[in-house]
Amino acid sequence: MRKFVCALMAFSLLLLAGCSGNQTNQAGQSGPVTITVWHDKEDAIIAVLEEALKALEPNIHVVFEKKTGMTESLKLVGNDRNTAPDMYLFAHDKIGVYAEMGILTPITELLGDDALAGYVPLTVKGVTYKEHVYQVPLYFETLLFMYNKKYMAHSDIPSTTEELYAYMQRKTKYGHYGFVEQHSTPYYAAGWIHGFGGSLITNTGVPCLDSSQVKATLAYHKKFVDYMPGETEYATVNTLFIEGMAHTTIAGPWFIPTVREAGIDVGIAPMPVVDETGLPLAPYSGIQGLHVLKVKIQQNKDSIIKVLEVLMKPEVSVALAKVSGCAPAVESCYTLEEVISDPLIMAMKQTAEIAIPMPNIPEMDVMWTVTGNLLTNVNMSGQDVDTAASNAQKKALELIEAMK
Amino acid sequence: MMRKASPKQRRGRQTAIAYLVSAPSLILISLIVVFPILYTGYISLTNMNTYHWFDFEIIGLRNYERAVLVFDSGFLSALLMTVLWTGVNMALQLVIAFLIANLLNIRHLPLRNVYKTVLMFPWAMPGYVSILLWKIGMFNSQFGLLTQWMEALSGLTVRWLQNDLSAFLCCTVVNLWLALPFMIMIMDGGLKSIDRSYYESAILDGATPLQQAVSITLPCLKPIIGPSVMITLFTTFKQFDVIYLMTQQVGSQTGAHIHTIITYAYENAFIANNYGYSSAISIMIFVLLIVFAQLTNRRTREVNA
Repeated sequence: MRKFVCALMAFSLLLLAGCSGNQTNQAGQSGPVTITVWHDKEDAIIAVLEEALKALEPNIHVVFEKKTGMTESLKLVGNDRNTAPDMYLFAHDKIGVYAEMGILTPITELLGDDALAGYVPLTVKGVTYKEHVYQVPLYFETLLFMYNKKYMAHSDIPSTTEELYAYMQRKTKYGHYGFVEQHSTPYYAAGWIHGFGGSLITNTGVPCLDSSQVKATLAYHKKFVDYMPGETEYATVNTLFIEGMAHTTIAGPWFIPTVREAGIDVGIAPMPVVDETGLPLAPYSGIQGLHVLKVKIQQNKDSIIKVLEVLMKPEVSVALAKVSGCAPAVESCYTLEEVISDPLIMAMKQTAEIAIPMPNIPEMDVMWTVTGNLLTNVNMSGQDVDTAASNAQKKALELIEAMK
Repeated sequence: MMRKASPKQRRGRQTAIAYLVSAPSLILISLIVVFPILYTGYISLTNMNTYHWFDFEIIGLRNYERAVLVFDSGFLSALLMTVLWTGVNMALQLVIAFLIANLLNIRHLPLRNVYKTVLMFPWAMPGYVSILLWKIGMFNSQFGLLTQWMEALSGLTVRWLQNDLSAFLCCTVVNLWLALPFMIMIMDGGLKSIDRSYYESAILDGATPLQQAVSITLPCLKPIIGPSVMITLFTTFKQFDVIYLMTQQVGSQTGAHIHTIITYAYENAFIANNYGYSSAISIMIFVLLIVFAQLTNRRTREVNA
């Protein structure tokens, strides 16, 4: 019996010794640390991240959980130690909401003040809210001007909006459209508004829907709408382009794989310049990256930092760019041949010079709906621009007031 | 020797046993139905919003004061639209379901079960999918089947969802498609439960099919379909999915402005991320529905009496 007890104790000691190499987390638990990341991305993107994070195994195991309705789930459990993830991978535009709710940690508290020193300025601007940086950007996306090379010769590529309009007038017939876009969707219409020097909302959360620039945009843009189909939601616009019925469109990089799969010889061109202002259409940009939840810092701080450090490496950004078709957030990537040689990524980098990050302030949440209604009222219901803009501004102010 | 329990004690014991047996269901109902209502009521008294998400405080009836402002002229027209929407949909549902259920009950009808399966199909599909299929597959001005038929027949391109009247009719069609299976099933069951001897006697008395329907079928069906009609009535009254997804979804608005009280409240309060305020509006709509239910119940009791 004594021999058995001794053998058991020796075995236990061996087991403990075997575990001693494992990391101890901040909560004092020994063993491998599991970091949970919520996301809503395609499998290919997650595969790249998982591959990169294999370097941290077995001490740190990162689990990516795909969530539908992630933004609402975070509101519900973002402060719950047992249910909240350690991080989430999402666009930057919800930063203001979550920062005000108090569930996010500024990443500079983990990685230092110069953590994003080598990042594309647009991305740093996008992920900063009230002078705090809340995201480690992985890649960014902007809308692009795409054309079907079968129909549009290089010499026909419009450099100005009037040239685009003339092309639409010439080519919109027999079931074909010179140009289609989601004209009554705020994300797309914002490019035109920026091209007129306007914006949907100020950095301090004041809506600008009745500004002279927004009104001028709506009045000018209406003539383009007249040469587009009745409904211009995502499905209709994309189908028209991939079926070769639309010669040009404005869409995101996520559309490119579908277009190529459909056998369309697609070209990317710079955004046309608004003749009246001399400014190009400047679309919104979405910055995708990792956000850290405050509630998990005490428990897993060291592991979270290690995960972020791995994912901040330029080679991860390049691999992500290859699978997502989006542009790397790390500036040094643009010196690498494999990035420079990709016309899509370089087109996006070029657009990044003029693009504007989606506002990340909480007030923007109500602006999507109100602006959508304004665009629909003018473009589809034929309402007078001044009246519609004035009503929309009033509604936006009411709703922003109702937020508080 | 045991003393015999008095009738009062026996009744008390029986009541206790009844509650004990029902306890699991009562607890479940409390958790699923009662608790959310009470919690919404509690949240409506707080300042829970983006800026006070976890540190919210009780602020009394202030949210209700603000919520009353939402009940403006826009809300009143939305309320009228909701009543119209409910009335039109209920009337059409009852008439169409009654006709189809009667057709399904024709004696010696061949392939009866095939028809029933096909008719139940819309019920088996997720509502979200059905609505978007109708929107894009049927009504889309580029690729919709109805649009293409119209173009082939008349050369006209119809934008079905762009103006209020045609959008209302299109939404009604989709709602009927989604809701009819339930009503047909209930009416079919109801028709089967009517004793055939009533009809045989009526035929002997020389009653026409219409007279049989009015004097036998309808009175016999009324108590059977009553609860289903009530359920459908409330589902239709608080309808959100059909109207919102067909005409108002952000990014694919169609230009129509048909608002029910729920879509109106959503656009005017819920998107503001102010849960206290939204809860106050939800409670007010809930009270409105309770009043509506009481009025309907009273009317039903009067008719039955």
